[in-house]
Amino acid sequence: MTQMQVRGLMFDPYTNAYIVVLRDDGNTEMLPIWVGKPEASAISFAMEGIATPRPMTHDLMKTVLDTADAKVISVVVTDLKENTYYAKIHLLYGDSEYSIDSRPSDAIALALRAKAPVFVTDDVIRKHSNEEMDRWLENLKPEDFGKYDA
Amino acid sequence: MTVQGVWADASPNAESQVVLLQDEAKTSTLPIWVGTAEGTAIRLALEGIIPPRPLSHDLIRNLTEHLSLTVSKVVVTDVKNNTYYASIYLCSKQSELTVDSRPSDAIALALRTKSPIYATRDVLDRQVPETVEPWIKRLNAKELGGAA
Repeated sequence: MTQMQVRGLMFDPYTNAYIVVLRDDGNTEMLPIWVGKPEASAISFAMEGIATPRPMTHDLMKTVLDTADAKVISVVVTDLKENTYYAKIHLLYGDSEYSIDSRPSDAIALALRAKAPVFVTDDVIRKHSNEEMDRWLENLKPEDFGKYDA
Repeated sequence: MTVQGVWADASPNAESQVVLLQDEAKTSTLPIWVGTAEGTAIRLALEGIIPPRPLSHDLIRNLTEHLSLTVSKVVVTDVKNNTYYASIYLCSKQSELTVDSRPSDAIALALRTKSPIYATRDVLDRQVPETVEPWIKRLNAKELGGAA
């Protein structure tokens, strides 16, 4: 498992969605996660420390946890299946730990507000690299294959 | 009150949708302007559509379930400067706690937890009739089989 930070947030004109870029401290691993506009706003506000006049959805999420005295221990991006990322939010409530299924966008938006670390499993990093490789292979033209023939 | 529907508001803000609340006796109608994301979340819950992955309000509902918290009710409590305020009442084993919220989030959550939605008399009394009337007309037209 590798701890990562949100290092970038950008608009993708091809999909009309937003991309959250996660990177590890050593800058060796990079993970782009596509998210919708509301989640991108939530992440952006948290990154910039912007407080909105009324609580937004993820602020409410954090407040519900605070009110119940539940603590976000960490958030983990656990899997990648058919282009969809899966995440888990780890909570401490009373004496027990809970693990709740979530979209990575919501998990990250919450983690930023709770100042909790974001981790990505090695499995996800490996799967993401494989998919990029496949995409690169798809883009190769037939002539590329014969390039280095003597 | 119950949610009668979510409509796109043609004016003035393209981002806005309107959630219409009405009491059983149909004596009071409360239109609340919400953003696109919240409007969608409310519409999905109304239509009983379960998305493949949990959306933000599904996650909040799941969190309350895991923490053994019940949403006993949500209340639209106040209106100040055209902004509505709401409270979400959460019951744990020990106590009842209230959380400040936008009405849009409160309604989106209440529909998922099947909790009752209320509005205070004060909020209903402070409405401007001109704002409400067009929406009452729309609701009535819908009931008579007209287009919403």
